[in-house]
Amino acid sequence: MSTRPGEAEPLPGTLIYRGAEADITLGTWQGLGAVFKSRKPLRYRLPALDDSIRRQRTVREAEMIEQAKRAGIRAPFLYAMDLPRATLVMEYVRGDRLRDLVGSLRTDEAEDAFERFGRSAARMHTAGIMHGDLTTANVLMKGKDLFFIDFGLSARTDRLEDHAVDLRLIKETLVGAHPGVAQAALDSLFRGYASEAGTQRFRSVLRQLKSIERRGRYARVE
Amino acid sequence: MKRFVLGVESTAHTFSVSIVSSEGEILSNSKSVYKAPEGSGIHPFEASQSHIASAPAVLAAAVETSKVPLGEISAVAYAMGPGLGPCLRVGGVVARTLAAKLEVPLVPVNHAVGHIELGCLLTGMKDPVVLLVSGGHTMIISHSGGRWRVLGESLDLTLGQLLDQLGRHHGLASPCGRAIEEAAMGGGYRRLPYAVKGNDVSFSGLLTASKTMLDGGTSFKDVSYSVQETAFAMVAEVTERALAFTGKREVMIVGGVAANRRLSEMMTVMAGRHSAAMASSPLEYSGDCGAQIAWTGWLAYSSGSWIPVQDAKVRQSWRLDVVDTPWRS
Ligand SMILES: Nc1ncnc2c1ncn2[C@@H]1O[C@H](COP(=O)(O)OP(=O)(O)OP(=O)(O)O)[C@@H](O)[C@H]1O
Ligand SMILES: [Mg+2]
Repeated sequence: MSTRPGEAEPLPGTLIYRGAEADITLGTWQGLGAVFKSRKPLRYRLPALDDSIRRQRTVREAEMIEQAKRAGIRAPFLYAMDLPRATLVMEYVRGDRLRDLVGSLRTDEAEDAFERFGRSAARMHTAGIMHGDLTTANVLMKGKDLFFIDFGLSARTDRLEDHAVDLRLIKETLVGAHPGVAQAALDSLFRGYASEAGTQRFRSVLRQLKSIERRGRYARVE
Repeated sequence: MKRFVLGVESTAHTFSVSIVSSEGEILSNSKSVYKAPEGSGIHPFEASQSHIASAPAVLAAAVETSKVPLGEISAVAYAMGPGLGPCLRVGGVVARTLAAKLEVPLVPVNHAVGHIELGCLLTGMKDPVVLLVSGGHTMIISHSGGRWRVLGESLDLTLGQLLDQLGRHHGLASPCGRAIEEAAMGGGYRRLPYAVKGNDVSFSGLLTASKTMLDGGTSFKDVSYSVQETAFAMVAEVTERALAFTGKREVMIVGGVAANRRLSEMMTVMAGRHSAAMASSPLEYSGDCGAQIAWTGWLAYSSGSWIPVQDAKVRQSWRLDVVDTPWRS
Protein backbone atom coordinates (compact mmCIF):
# COMPACT_ATOMS: atom_id res chain seq x y z
CA MET A 1 0.00 0.00 0.00
CA SER A 2 1.27 3.42 -0.87
CA THR A 3 0.44 6.41 1.24
CA ARG A 4 2.32 9.02 -0.72
CA PRO A 5 0.01 11.90 -1.50
CA GLY A 6 -0.81 12.52 -5.08
CA GLU A 7 -0.27 8.96 -6.17
CA ALA A 8 -3.91 8.17 -6.50
CA GLU A 9 -4.42 10.60 -9.35
CA PRO A 10 -8.07 10.27 -10.17
CA LEU A 11 -8.06 8.62 -13.58
CA PRO A 12 -10.76 9.40 -16.06
CA GLY A 13 -13.00 6.76 -14.57
CA THR A 14 -16.73 6.38 -14.56
CA LEU A 15 -18.79 7.28 -11.57
CA ILE A 16 -20.59 4.08 -10.66
CA TYR A 17 -22.12 5.06 -7.40
CA ARG A 18 -22.79 8.10 -5.31
CA GLY A 19 -22.97 6.91 -1.74
CA ALA A 20 -23.84 8.90 1.31
CA GLU A 21 -20.22 9.70 1.97
CA ALA A 22 -18.26 8.91 -1.10
CA ASP A 23 -18.19 8.93 -4.88
CA ILE A 24 -17.17 5.57 -6.28
CA THR A 25 -15.47 5.62 -9.66
CA LEU A 26 -14.18 2.73 -11.67
CA GLY A 27 -10.74 3.07 -13.21
CA THR A 28 -7.45 1.28 -13.44
CA TRP A 29 -4.50 1.17 -11.09
CA GLN A 30 -1.26 -0.05 -12.61
CA GLY A 31 -3.17 -2.06 -15.10
CA LEU A 32 -5.63 -3.51 -12.62
CA GLY A 33 -9.32 -2.79 -12.50
CA ALA A 34 -9.72 -0.52 -9.50
CA VAL A 35 -12.31 1.30 -7.48
CA PHE A 36 -11.58 4.88 -6.42
CA LYS A 37 -13.47 5.79 -3.30
CA SER A 38 -13.38 9.55 -2.73
CA ARG A 39 -14.94 11.10 0.30
CA LYS A 40 -15.97 14.38 -1.29
CA PRO A 41 -16.44 17.44 0.90
CA LEU A 42 -19.99 17.58 2.23
CA ARG A 43 -21.04 21.18 1.98
CA TYR A 44 -23.63 20.99 4.71
CA ARG A 45 -20.96 20.36 7.32
CA LEU A 46 -18.61 23.07 8.55
CA PRO A 47 -15.35 22.65 6.62
CA ALA A 48 -13.32 22.27 9.82
CA LEU A 49 -15.54 19.42 10.97
CA ASP A 50 -15.94 17.90 7.53
CA ASP A 51 -12.22 17.80 6.73
CA SER A 52 -11.32 16.01 9.91
CA ILE A 53 -14.13 13.47 9.55
CA ARG A 54 -13.22 12.63 5.97
CA ARG A 55 -9.53 12.25 6.76
CA GLN A 56 -10.15 10.24 9.86
CA ARG A 57 -12.51 7.83 8.14
CA THR A 58 -10.22 7.41 5.15
CA VAL A 59 -7.29 6.49 7.37
CA ARG A 60 -9.48 4.27 9.47
CA GLU A 61 -10.87 2.44 6.47
CA ALA A 62 -7.38 1.79 5.08
CA GLU A 63 -6.12 0.42 8.39
CA MET A 64 -9.12 -1.69 9.15
CA ILE A 65 -9.42 -3.29 5.71
CA GLU A 66 -5.93 -4.66 6.36
CA GLN A 67 -6.80 -5.81 9.84
CA ALA A 68 -9.99 -7.48 8.73
CA LYS A 69 -8.13 -9.35 6.03
CA ARG A 70 -5.62 -10.50 8.61
CA ALA A 71 -8.51 -11.86 10.65
CA GLY A 72 -9.61 -13.93 7.67
CA ILE A 73 -12.40 -11.68 6.43
CA ARG A 74 -12.72 -11.15 2.71
CA ALA A 75 -12.29 -7.52 1.78
CA PRO A 76 -10.89 -5.72 -1.27
CA PHE A 77 -7.12 -5.30 -1.58
CA LEU A 78 -6.05 -1.81 -0.88
CA TYR A 79 -3.81 -0.35 -3.60
CA ALA A 80 -3.24 3.22 -2.47
CA MET A 81 -4.35 6.10 -0.32
CA ASP A 82 -4.40 9.79 -1.18
CA LEU A 83 -5.14 11.49 2.10
CA PRO A 84 -5.39 15.11 0.91
CA ARG A 85 -8.16 13.99 -1.41
CA ALA A 86 -9.58 11.52 1.11
CA THR A 87 -9.37 8.87 -1.58
CA LEU A 88 -8.68 5.16 -1.42
CA VAL A 89 -7.85 3.02 -4.41
CA MET A 90 -8.78 -0.61 -4.02
CA GLU A 91 -9.47 -3.82 -5.78
CA TYR A 92 -12.65 -3.91 -7.79
CA VAL A 93 -14.77 -6.73 -6.43
CA ARG A 94 -16.99 -8.03 -9.21
CA GLY A 95 -19.93 -8.83 -7.03
CA ASP A 96 -23.37 -7.55 -6.18
CA ARG A 97 -24.50 -5.81 -3.09
CA LEU A 98 -26.35 -8.15 -0.77
CA ARG A 99 -28.96 -5.39 -0.56
CA ASP A 100 -29.76 -5.84 -4.24
CA LEU A 101 -29.75 -9.62 -4.13
CA VAL A 102 -31.85 -10.22 -1.04
CA GLY A 103 -35.13 -10.11 -2.95
CA SER A 104 -34.07 -12.64 -5.58
CA LEU A 105 -32.16 -15.27 -3.58
CA ARG A 106 -33.77 -18.68 -3.16
CA THR A 107 -34.60 -19.57 0.42
CA ASP A 108 -31.65 -21.94 0.77
CA GLU A 109 -29.32 -19.42 -0.87
CA ALA A 110 -30.47 -16.68 1.47
CA GLU A 111 -30.05 -18.97 4.45
CA ASP A 112 -26.51 -19.78 3.39
CA ALA A 113 -25.63 -16.15 2.66
CA PHE A 114 -26.88 -14.84 5.99
CA GLU A 115 -25.28 -17.66 7.91
CA ARG A 116 -21.95 -16.72 6.31
CA PHE A 117 -22.67 -13.09 7.10
CA GLY A 118 -23.17 -14.03 10.75
CA ARG A 119 -19.99 -16.10 10.84
CA SER A 120 -17.96 -13.26 9.35
CA ALA A 121 -19.41 -10.76 11.80
CA ALA A 122 -18.48 -13.05 14.68
CA ARG A 123 -15.01 -13.54 13.27
CA MET A 124 -14.45 -9.79 13.11
CA HIS A 125 -15.66 -9.41 16.67
CA THR A 126 -13.53 -12.26 17.93
CA ALA A 127 -10.56 -10.54 16.34
CA GLY A 128 -11.47 -7.34 18.18
CA ILE A 129 -12.92 -5.50 15.18
CA MET A 130 -16.22 -3.70 15.13
CA HIS A 131 -17.25 -2.98 11.55
CA GLY A 132 -19.43 -0.02 12.50
CA ASP A 133 -21.53 -0.04 9.33
CA LEU A 134 -22.85 -3.54 8.79
CA THR A 135 -25.68 -2.91 6.37
CA THR A 136 -26.61 -5.07 3.41
CA ALA A 137 -25.18 -2.35 1.14
CA ASN A 138 -21.73 -2.93 2.56
CA VAL A 139 -21.56 -6.63 1.83
CA LEU A 140 -20.73 -7.68 -1.71
CA MET A 141 -21.59 -11.17 -2.84
CA LYS A 142 -19.44 -12.83 -5.46
CA GLY A 143 -20.55 -16.38 -6.06
CA LYS A 144 -21.06 -17.67 -2.57
CA ASP A 145 -18.36 -15.48 -1.06
CA LEU A 146 -19.09 -12.37 0.92
CA PHE A 147 -16.75 -9.39 0.73
CA PHE A 148 -16.94 -6.70 3.37
CA ILE A 149 -16.39 -3.07 2.43
CA ASP A 150 -16.84 0.42 3.86
CA PHE A 151 -14.75 0.21 7.04
CA GLY A 152 -14.72 3.97 7.67
CA LEU A 153 -16.69 3.69 10.91
CA SER A 154 -14.93 0.61 12.23
CA ALA A 155 -12.98 0.39 15.44
CA ARG A 156 -10.71 -1.86 17.44
CA THR A 157 -12.73 -3.01 20.38
CA ASP A 158 -13.54 -6.05 22.45
CA ARG A 159 -16.47 -4.41 24.24
CA LEU A 160 -19.69 -6.35 24.25
CA GLU A 161 -21.59 -3.11 23.74
CA ASP A 162 -19.75 -2.30 20.50
CA HIS A 163 -20.28 -5.75 19.08
CA ALA A 164 -23.95 -5.52 19.97
CA VAL A 165 -24.18 -2.17 18.18
CA ASP A 166 -22.96 -3.94 15.04
CA LEU A 167 -25.69 -6.57 15.30
CA ARG A 168 -28.28 -3.95 16.11
CA LEU A 169 -27.52 -2.15 12.87
CA ILE A 170 -27.86 -5.36 10.86
CA LYS A 171 -31.18 -5.96 12.52
CA GLU A 172 -32.35 -2.39 11.94
CA THR A 173 -31.40 -2.61 8.26
CA LEU A 174 -33.11 -5.95 7.77
CA VAL A 175 -36.30 -4.95 9.56
CA GLY A 176 -36.34 -1.47 8.03
CA ALA A 177 -35.34 -2.25 4.46
CA HIS A 178 -36.07 -5.93 3.90
CA PRO A 179 -39.13 -6.52 6.11
CA GLY A 180 -40.34 -9.54 4.14
CA VAL A 181 -37.25 -11.64 4.81
CA ALA A 182 -35.96 -9.97 7.97
CA GLN A 183 -36.90 -12.66 10.46
CA ALA A 184 -35.57 -15.59 8.45
CA ALA A 185 -32.40 -13.69 7.59
CA LEU A 186 -31.79 -12.80 11.22
CA ASP A 187 -32.31 -16.37 12.33
CA SER A 188 -29.69 -17.59 9.86
CA LEU A 189 -27.35 -14.77 10.74
CA PHE A 190 -27.58 -15.44 14.45
CA ARG A 191 -27.05 -19.14 13.87
CA GLY A 192 -23.87 -18.34 11.94
CA TYR A 193 -22.74 -15.89 14.59
CA ALA A 194 -23.26 -18.41 17.40
CA SER A 195 -21.41 -21.14 15.52
CA GLU A 196 -18.34 -18.92 15.16
CA ALA A 197 -18.35 -16.97 18.41
CA GLY A 198 -19.68 -19.74 20.63
CA THR A 199 -23.15 -19.89 22.14
CA GLN A 200 -22.14 -18.22 25.34
CA ARG A 201 -20.64 -15.15 23.72
CA PHE A 202 -23.55 -15.02 21.29
CA ARG A 203 -26.05 -14.99 24.15
CA SER A 204 -24.22 -12.18 25.89
CA VAL A 205 -24.11 -10.08 22.73
CA LEU A 206 -27.80 -10.73 22.12
CA ARG A 207 -28.65 -9.68 25.66
CA GLN A 208 -26.67 -6.48 25.19
CA LEU A 209 -28.49 -5.87 21.91
CA LYS A 210 -31.83 -6.07 23.69
CA SER A 211 -30.66 -3.64 26.32
CA ILE A 212 -29.55 -1.14 23.63
CA GLU A 213 -32.94 -1.40 21.99
CA ARG A 214 -34.67 -0.66 25.25
CA ARG A 215 -32.48 2.39 25.81
CA GLY A 216 -33.20 4.15 22.55
CA ARG A 217 -36.55 2.95 21.46
CA TYR A 218 -39.24 4.64 23.30
CA ALA A 219 -37.35 7.80 23.98
CA ARG A 220 -39.74 10.04 25.78
CA VAL A 221 -40.41 13.68 26.09
CA GLU A 222 -38.96 15.27 29.19
CA MET B 1 -69.32 14.01 -0.49
CA LYS B 2 -67.03 15.96 1.79
CA ARG B 3 -66.54 14.34 5.17
CA PHE B 4 -65.11 15.78 8.39
CA VAL B 5 -62.91 14.26 11.07
CA LEU B 6 -62.09 15.73 14.45
CA GLY B 7 -58.68 14.88 15.93
CA VAL B 8 -57.33 15.19 19.47
CA GLU B 9 -53.61 15.41 20.28
CA SER B 10 -52.30 15.16 23.85
CA THR B 11 -49.11 13.09 23.82
CA ALA B 12 -46.87 15.59 25.65
CA HIS B 13 -46.78 19.40 26.09
CA THR B 14 -49.58 20.15 23.68
CA PHE B 15 -53.31 19.67 23.95
CA SER B 16 -54.82 20.36 20.56
CA VAL B 17 -58.02 19.75 18.63
CA SER B 18 -58.43 20.06 14.89
CA ILE B 19 -61.10 19.47 12.30
CA VAL B 20 -60.08 18.50 8.78
CA SER B 21 -62.03 17.61 5.69
CA SER B 22 -61.64 14.49 3.58
CA GLU B 23 -60.14 16.78 0.93
CA GLY B 24 -57.26 17.70 3.18
CA GLU B 25 -58.43 21.14 4.28
CA ILE B 26 -57.41 22.00 7.83
CA LEU B 27 -60.48 23.86 9.05
CA SER B 28 -59.22 24.48 12.58
CA ASN B 29 -56.22 23.62 14.72
CA SER B 30 -56.60 25.02 18.24
CA LYS B 31 -54.07 24.32 20.94
CA SER B 32 -52.84 25.03 24.39
CA VAL B 33 -49.21 24.35 25.31
CA TYR B 34 -48.09 23.47 28.82
CA LYS B 35 -44.94 25.32 29.77
CA ALA B 36 -42.64 23.74 32.35
CA PRO B 37 -41.13 25.99 35.03
CA GLU B 38 -37.77 27.54 34.11
CA GLY B 39 -34.83 25.18 34.35
CA SER B 40 -36.98 22.04 34.67
CA GLY B 41 -38.44 19.49 32.29
CA ILE B 42 -42.01 18.53 31.55
CA HIS B 43 -43.79 16.96 34.51
CA PRO B 44 -46.28 14.43 33.10
CA PHE B 45 -48.89 14.81 35.81
CA GLU B 46 -48.80 18.60 35.81
CA ALA B 47 -48.98 18.65 32.03
CA SER B 48 -52.03 16.40 32.17
CA GLN B 49 -53.69 18.72 34.70
CA SER B 50 -53.04 21.63 32.38
CA HIS B 51 -54.59 19.64 29.50
CA ILE B 52 -57.69 18.88 31.57
CA ALA B 53 -58.07 22.54 32.43
CA SER B 54 -57.73 23.75 28.85
CA ALA B 55 -59.60 20.94 27.05
CA PRO B 56 -63.11 22.50 27.04
CA ALA B 57 -61.92 25.84 25.66
CA VAL B 58 -59.62 24.26 23.04
CA LEU B 59 -62.39 21.94 21.86
CA ALA B 60 -64.93 24.75 21.68
CA ALA B 61 -62.50 26.96 19.73
CA ALA B 62 -61.72 24.18 17.24
CA VAL B 63 -65.39 23.51 16.59
CA GLU B 64 -66.29 27.16 16.29
CA THR B 65 -63.39 28.10 13.99
CA SER B 66 -64.12 25.18 11.65
CA LYS B 67 -67.78 26.21 11.20
CA VAL B 68 -68.57 22.50 10.90
CA PRO B 69 -71.69 21.53 12.86
CA LEU B 70 -70.83 18.74 15.32
CA GLY B 71 -73.52 16.59 13.73
CA GLU B 72 -71.52 16.50 10.49
CA ILE B 73 -68.41 14.96 12.04
CA SER B 74 -67.89 11.45 10.61
CA ALA B 75 -65.28 10.19 13.05
CA VAL B 76 -63.24 11.22 16.07
CA ALA B 77 -59.52 10.45 16.08
CA TYR B 78 -57.10 10.58 18.98
CA ALA B 79 -53.40 10.05 19.57
CA MET B 80 -53.27 6.64 21.24
CA GLY B 81 -49.47 6.90 21.66
CA PRO B 82 -46.57 7.04 21.98
CA GLY B 83 -46.31 9.61 24.73
CA LEU B 84 -46.71 10.32 28.42
CA GLY B 85 -49.39 8.19 30.07
CA PRO B 86 -51.23 10.88 32.05
CA CYS B 87 -51.29 13.21 29.04
CA LEU B 88 -52.42 10.53 26.61
CA ARG B 89 -55.30 9.59 28.88
CA VAL B 90 -56.72 13.13 28.76
CA GLY B 91 -56.98 13.04 24.97
CA GLY B 92 -58.32 9.50 25.12
CA VAL B 93 -61.13 10.46 27.48
CA VAL B 94 -62.07 13.57 25.50
CA ALA B 95 -62.16 11.62 22.22
CA ARG B 96 -64.05 8.67 23.64
CA THR B 97 -66.67 10.91 25.20
CA LEU B 98 -67.14 12.84 21.98
CA ALA B 99 -67.35 9.73 19.81
CA ALA B 100 -69.95 8.19 22.13
CA LYS B 101 -71.97 11.39 22.23
CA LEU B 102 -71.88 11.91 18.45
CA GLU B 103 -72.31 8.16 17.83
CA VAL B 104 -69.42 8.05 15.36
CA PRO B 105 -66.41 5.73 15.06
CA LEU B 106 -63.34 6.27 17.21
CA VAL B 107 -60.01 6.14 15.36
CA PRO B 108 -56.72 5.57 17.21
CA VAL B 109 -53.75 7.28 15.56
CA ASN B 110 -50.02 6.83 16.08
CA HIS B 111 -48.59 10.24 16.87
CA ALA B 112 -45.42 9.72 14.81
CA VAL B 113 -47.34 8.46 11.79
CA GLY B 114 -49.48 11.58 12.27
CA HIS B 115 -46.45 13.87 11.91
CA ILE B 116 -45.44 12.10 8.72
CA GLU B 117 -48.84 11.93 7.03
CA LEU B 118 -49.64 15.57 7.80
CA GLY B 119 -46.18 16.48 6.50
CA CYS B 120 -46.93 14.66 3.24
CA LEU B 121 -50.26 16.42 2.92
CA LEU B 122 -48.75 19.86 3.45
CA THR B 123 -45.55 19.47 1.43
CA GLY B 124 -47.06 17.40 -1.36
CA MET B 125 -44.38 14.73 -0.93
CA LYS B 126 -45.40 11.25 -2.02
CA ASP B 127 -42.76 8.81 -0.86
CA PRO B 128 -40.09 10.64 1.12
CA VAL B 129 -37.26 9.64 3.39
CA VAL B 130 -38.49 11.30 6.57
CA LEU B 131 -36.45 12.90 9.32
CA LEU B 132 -38.71 13.02 12.38
CA VAL B 133 -37.10 15.26 14.96
CA SER B 134 -38.91 16.34 18.10
CA GLY B 135 -38.82 16.04 21.86
CA GLY B 136 -39.99 12.44 21.68
CA HIS B 137 -38.38 11.22 18.45
CA THR B 138 -35.24 11.27 16.40
CA MET B 139 -35.80 8.82 13.58
CA ILE B 140 -35.09 8.38 9.91
CA ILE B 141 -38.07 6.68 8.33
CA SER B 142 -39.19 5.47 4.95
CA HIS B 143 -42.21 3.56 3.71
CA SER B 144 -41.93 -0.02 2.51
CA GLY B 145 -43.91 -3.21 2.76
CA GLY B 146 -47.10 -1.52 3.98
CA ARG B 147 -45.60 0.34 6.93
CA TRP B 148 -43.39 3.24 7.83
CA ARG B 149 -40.03 1.67 8.68
CA VAL B 150 -37.24 2.97 10.84
CA LEU B 151 -33.89 3.12 9.02
CA GLY B 152 -32.00 4.99 11.70
CA GLU B 153 -32.54 6.63 15.04
CA SER B 154 -30.90 8.06 18.10
CA LEU B 155 -29.44 5.46 20.41
CA ASP B 156 -30.07 7.66 23.43
CA LEU B 157 -31.40 11.24 23.63
CA THR B 158 -33.65 12.74 21.00
CA LEU B 159 -32.60 15.92 19.23
CA GLY B 160 -35.31 17.81 21.12
CA GLN B 161 -34.05 16.49 24.44
CA LEU B 162 -30.49 17.47 23.56
CA LEU B 163 -31.53 21.07 22.84
CA ASP B 164 -33.88 21.26 25.83
CA GLN B 165 -31.40 19.85 28.29
CA LEU B 166 -28.69 22.19 27.07
CA GLY B 167 -31.05 25.15 27.34
CA ARG B 168 -32.21 24.15 30.80
CA HIS B 169 -28.62 23.81 31.95
CA HIS B 170 -28.32 27.45 30.96
CA GLY B 171 -31.46 28.27 32.96
CA LEU B 172 -34.01 28.50 30.15
CA ALA B 173 -37.50 26.96 30.22
CA SER B 174 -38.22 24.10 27.80
CA PRO B 175 -38.84 23.86 24.96
CA CYS B 176 -35.55 25.65 24.20
CA GLY B 177 -35.08 24.98 20.47
CA ARG B 178 -36.03 28.46 19.44
CA ALA B 179 -33.79 30.18 22.00
CA ILE B 180 -30.83 28.04 20.94
CA GLU B 181 -31.43 28.78 17.26
CA GLU B 182 -31.40 32.50 18.00
CA ALA B 183 -28.37 32.28 20.27
CA ALA B 184 -26.48 30.31 17.63
CA MET B 185 -26.63 33.11 15.07
CA GLY B 186 -23.18 34.58 14.69
CA GLY B 187 -21.65 32.10 17.14
CA GLY B 188 -18.22 30.52 16.68
CA TYR B 189 -17.35 26.87 16.24
CA ARG B 190 -15.79 24.74 18.98
CA ARG B 191 -15.06 21.08 18.53
CA LEU B 192 -17.64 18.73 20.08
CA PRO B 193 -18.04 14.94 19.85
CA TYR B 194 -19.53 13.79 16.55
CA ALA B 195 -21.11 10.37 17.04
CA VAL B 196 -22.53 8.59 14.01
CA LYS B 197 -22.81 4.84 14.52
CA GLY B 198 -23.81 3.24 11.27
CA ASN B 199 -27.30 4.56 10.53
CA ASP B 200 -27.75 5.80 14.07
CA VAL B 201 -26.64 8.76 16.13
CA SER B 202 -25.83 9.23 19.78
CA PHE B 203 -26.19 12.59 21.52
CA SER B 204 -25.28 11.79 25.11
CA GLY B 205 -21.55 12.51 24.70
CA LEU B 206 -22.34 15.72 22.87
CA LEU B 207 -24.65 16.87 25.67
CA THR B 208 -22.10 16.17 28.39
CA ALA B 209 -19.32 17.90 26.47
CA SER B 210 -21.42 20.97 25.72
CA LYS B 211 -22.53 21.35 29.34
CA THR B 212 -18.89 21.11 30.42
CA MET B 213 -17.99 23.73 27.83
CA LEU B 214 -20.69 26.07 29.16
CA ASP B 215 -19.52 25.52 32.73
CA GLY B 216 -15.98 26.27 31.61
CA GLY B 217 -16.99 29.75 30.53
CA THR B 218 -17.58 29.38 26.79
CA SER B 219 -20.43 31.67 25.77
CA PHE B 220 -23.92 30.24 25.34
CA LYS B 221 -23.78 31.68 21.83
CA ASP B 222 -20.72 29.66 20.83
CA VAL B 223 -21.94 26.51 22.53
CA SER B 224 -25.35 26.80 20.85
CA TYR B 225 -23.74 27.32 17.46
CA SER B 226 -21.38 24.39 17.91
CA VAL B 227 -24.08 22.05 19.19
CA GLN B 228 -26.31 22.89 16.24
CA GLU B 229 -23.56 22.47 13.67
CA THR B 230 -22.49 19.15 15.17
CA ALA B 231 -25.85 17.58 15.95
CA PHE B 232 -27.55 18.70 12.74
CA ALA B 233 -24.64 17.45 10.63
CA MET B 234 -25.00 14.08 12.35
CA VAL B 235 -28.69 13.77 11.53
CA ALA B 236 -28.12 15.09 8.00
CA GLU B 237 -25.47 12.43 7.53
CA VAL B 238 -27.64 9.54 8.67
CA THR B 239 -30.54 10.85 6.57
CA GLU B 240 -28.19 10.98 3.61
CA ARG B 241 -27.26 7.37 4.26
CA ALA B 242 -30.93 6.36 4.23
CA LEU B 243 -31.46 8.36 1.04
CA ALA B 244 -28.54 6.64 -0.69
CA PHE B 245 -29.66 3.27 0.63
CA THR B 246 -33.30 3.51 -0.46
CA GLY B 247 -32.72 5.48 -3.65
CA LYS B 248 -35.78 7.61 -2.91
CA ARG B 249 -36.18 11.04 -4.48
CA GLU B 250 -37.66 13.12 -1.66
CA VAL B 251 -36.58 14.18 1.82
CA MET B 252 -38.95 15.67 4.37
CA ILE B 253 -38.39 17.03 7.89
CA VAL B 254 -41.24 16.84 10.40
CA GLY B 255 -41.55 17.29 14.16
CA GLY B 256 -40.88 20.29 16.36
CA VAL B 257 -37.22 20.70 15.38
CA ALA B 258 -38.28 20.98 11.71
CA ALA B 259 -38.85 24.64 12.53
CA ASN B 260 -35.08 25.19 12.78
CA ARG B 261 -33.82 27.00 9.68
CA ARG B 262 -30.22 25.87 9.97
CA LEU B 263 -31.34 22.25 10.03
CA SER B 264 -33.46 22.62 6.92
CA GLU B 265 -30.67 24.51 5.18
CA MET B 266 -28.25 21.63 5.81
CA MET B 267 -30.81 19.07 4.74
CA THR B 268 -31.48 20.99 1.52
CA VAL B 269 -27.79 20.98 0.63
CA MET B 270 -27.61 17.28 1.46
CA ALA B 271 -30.64 16.36 -0.65
CA GLY B 272 -29.32 18.46 -3.54
CA ARG B 273 -26.22 16.28 -3.76
CA HIS B 274 -28.52 13.39 -4.63
CA SER B 275 -30.89 15.47 -6.80
CA ALA B 276 -33.65 14.78 -4.30
CA ALA B 277 -36.33 17.30 -3.37
CA MET B 278 -36.40 18.53 0.22
CA ALA B 279 -39.17 20.15 2.25
CA SER B 280 -39.90 20.89 5.89
CA SER B 281 -43.29 20.79 7.43
CA PRO B 282 -44.60 24.40 7.62
CA LEU B 283 -43.82 26.11 10.92
CA GLU B 284 -47.41 26.20 12.12
CA TYR B 285 -47.75 22.43 11.82
CA SER B 286 -44.24 21.17 12.54
CA GLY B 287 -44.84 20.82 16.27
CA ASP B 288 -47.48 18.62 17.89
CA CYS B 289 -51.00 19.51 16.79
CA GLY B 290 -54.49 18.13 16.38
CA ALA B 291 -54.28 18.36 12.59
CA GLN B 292 -51.75 15.50 12.39
CA ILE B 293 -54.21 13.31 14.27
CA ALA B 294 -57.34 14.47 12.43
CA TRP B 295 -55.79 14.02 8.97
CA THR B 296 -54.25 10.62 9.72
CA GLY B 297 -57.52 9.73 11.43
CA TRP B 298 -59.30 10.44 8.16
CA LEU B 299 -56.81 8.27 6.22
CA ALA B 300 -57.27 5.39 8.68
CA TYR B 301 -61.03 5.77 8.92
CA SER B 302 -61.42 5.88 5.13
CA SER B 303 -59.55 2.59 4.88
CA GLY B 304 -61.67 0.97 7.56
CA SER B 305 -59.53 1.17 10.70
CA TRP B 306 -61.50 2.28 13.71
CA ILE B 307 -62.36 0.75 17.05
CA PRO B 308 -65.41 0.40 19.29
CA VAL B 309 -65.50 3.15 21.89
CA GLN B 310 -65.15 0.68 24.77
CA ASP B 311 -61.82 -0.52 23.32
CA ALA B 312 -60.22 2.89 23.62
CA LYS B 313 -56.89 2.73 25.45
CA VAL B 314 -53.52 4.42 25.35
CA ARG B 315 -50.10 3.01 24.46
CA GLN B 316 -47.18 4.91 25.91
CA SER B 317 -44.64 2.97 23.87
CA TRP B 318 -46.15 2.42 20.47
CA ARG B 319 -43.55 2.23 17.74
CA LEU B 320 -44.64 3.48 14.37
CA ASP B 321 -43.16 0.49 12.54
CA VAL B 322 -45.87 -1.82 13.85
CA VAL B 323 -48.67 0.32 12.38
CA ASP B 324 -50.24 -0.87 9.12
CA THR B 325 -50.94 1.89 6.62
CA PRO B 326 -53.62 0.50 4.29
CA TRP B 327 -54.25 3.97 2.85
CA ARG B 328 -50.81 3.85 1.23
CA SER B 329 -51.27 0.68 -0.78
N1 LIG C 1 -14.04 -2.51 -3.83
C1 LIG C 1 -15.22 -2.45 -4.42
N2 LIG C 1 -15.54 -3.28 -5.41
C2 LIG C 1 -16.73 -3.21 -6.03
N3 LIG C 1 -17.69 -2.33 -5.72
C3 LIG C 1 -17.44 -1.47 -4.72
C4 LIG C 1 -16.20 -1.47 -4.02
N4 LIG C 1 -16.24 -0.49 -3.11
C5 LIG C 1 -17.44 0.09 -3.23
N5 LIG C 1 -18.18 -0.48 -4.20
C6 LIG C 1 -19.56 -0.12 -4.59
O1 LIG C 1 -19.84 1.22 -4.19
C7 LIG C 1 -20.85 1.26 -3.21
C8 LIG C 1 -20.54 2.31 -2.15
O2 LIG C 1 -19.30 2.00 -1.53
P1 LIG C 1 -19.07 2.33 0.02
O3 LIG C 1 -20.08 1.63 0.80
O4 LIG C 1 -17.65 2.04 0.32
O5 LIG C 1 -19.30 3.91 0.01
P2 LIG C 1 -20.32 4.81 0.85
O6 LIG C 1 -20.27 6.17 0.35
O7 LIG C 1 -20.06 4.58 2.27
O8 LIG C 1 -21.70 4.20 0.44
P3 LIG C 1 -23.03 4.10 1.31
O9 LIG C 1 -23.39 5.44 1.70
O10 LIG C 1 -24.00 3.47 0.36
O11 LIG C 1 -22.68 3.20 2.46
C9 LIG C 1 -20.93 -0.15 -2.68
O12 LIG C 1 -22.20 -0.44 -2.18
C10 LIG C 1 -20.57 -0.98 -3.90
O13 LIG C 1 -21.68 -1.16 -4.73
MG1 LIG D 1 -21.52 1.81 2.10
